Amino acid sequence: MDFIYAQKLEEALNALRTQAGRAKVLAGGTDLMIQIARGEKQPQALIFIGQLKDDLAAVSLSQDGHLNIGALVTHRQICADRQVQASYPALATASASVGGWQTQSVGTLAGNICNASPAADTIPPLLVHEAVVTIQSAARGLRDVSLEYFITGRRQIAIENDEMVVGITLAPLPADTADAYLKVGRRKAMEVAIAGLAMRLTMAGPEIVGELRVATCATGPVSRRAREVEALFSGQKLTDELVTQGASLLGRMIQPIDDTRASAQYRKLVIPKLFRGAVLECLAKLGIAISGLEKS
Amino acid sequence: MKINLKVNGILEEVEIEASTVLLDVLRDKLHLTGAKEGCREGECGACTVLIDGQPVDSCLYSAAAAANTEIETVEGISANGLSAIQKAMVEEGGIQCGFCTPGIVMTLTALLRQNADPTPKDVAAALNGNICRCTGYSRIVSATLKAAKNAMAQKAGDAHA
Repeated sequence: MDFIYAQKLEEALNALRTQAGRAKVLAGGTDLMIQIARGEKQPQALIFIGQLKDDLAAVSLSQDGHLNIGALVTHRQICADRQVQASYPALATASASVGGWQTQSVGTLAGNICNASPAADTIPPLLVHEAVVTIQSAARGLRDVSLEYFITGRRQIAIENDEMVVGITLAPLPADTADAYLKVGRRKAMEVAIAGLAMRLTMAGPEIVGELRVATCATGPVSRRAREVEALFSGQKLTDELVTQGASLLGRMIQPIDDTRASAQYRKLVIPKLFRGAVLECLAKLGIAISGLEKS
Repeated sequence: MKINLKVNGILEEVEIEASTVLLDVLRDKLHLTGAKEGCREGECGACTVLIDGQPVDSCLYSAAAAANTEIETVEGISANGLSAIQKAMVEEGGIQCGFCTPGIVMTLTALLRQNADPTPKDVAAALNGNICRCTGYSRIVSATLKAAKNAMAQKAGDAHA
């Protein structure tokens, strides 16, 4: 195996083109190095991008209010970033629950989505905020793809051999919007999610939902938005009954598996609870109290 | 491949494979056996070292990627006798079997450099990635608070002197 130190972004892209599918891009390596040690991945070269901090290690706000997160931004940076905390706190919560401090020091948000684990904490919050993944190649330059289309299957992503992710972009929030990320694990820290749920709630008036978005993880091979559930809420009065209906539909829609962490049946029971919890957390963040809507 | 690693301030040339992890270089090539191999998959923190001041699991960190960084191990921080956190760990009884201790010492060294006055909650959060199966953590937390308190008292004393 070769180890290639990219000193410039173009060098990384040129190396990817030359290697034509034989190379993997290495940043923090918290997933990749274990996969190599286990023999699950056997690249012929590692292209190390950790020295491209000038190009890829910043969280920056564009003039039109979009938040750009470079491919080398670590979970630790995400948790501590004021802009993320202010606008997308669910993402900060999710990044704070990826492994321990050691993983968060070097593990990147971009790496987390490229690994595309069904249990990746950061994917549901990025999905409800309709994150856009920016991909670059030496041959074709830049292209953007919605995260929803970027993750195509369990540990599968829509990326060509000569391409790498260079950043993730989040759009500015509409007014009266809050988000939440709730996770069930056996302990608070260092735990792969048994089930996780992110929600983004936009209110259109007192008690009237403008838009509700919800996505889950560890509930199927791929994290997805639950659009049938979302559609129930659009423009509707938010009532306890509607939340129960949405929670129950979500529980029926997900297709979890039995594994060492929990049974599929448990996941189907816990996801509706997380759904209700997320509605209440979003409302609390918006300072809205709706009578009759309570924790079950 | 040959790389240069700066470990505890000393530049060392080592021969490695592209897939070699930092822990193996530290233990097998440089004979720095403070960092321990526990789970070898980033769960237990026994292999924690500092890279540019941040705690990292050396069992899953590429050795080649660690070139051009400042690596610190428990041997480095105790080169001139026990450090403040190490002394406090001894005094408070924060050690039982000792296998997790070097990793915990490194994580707490990073914490105390970044946060001179941590709360018990800050200490617990910092230790998320360090598993100790003996102590129940409470004496490790009290040792950290003691080390912080001692350092602050010393600083105040120095300011008066």
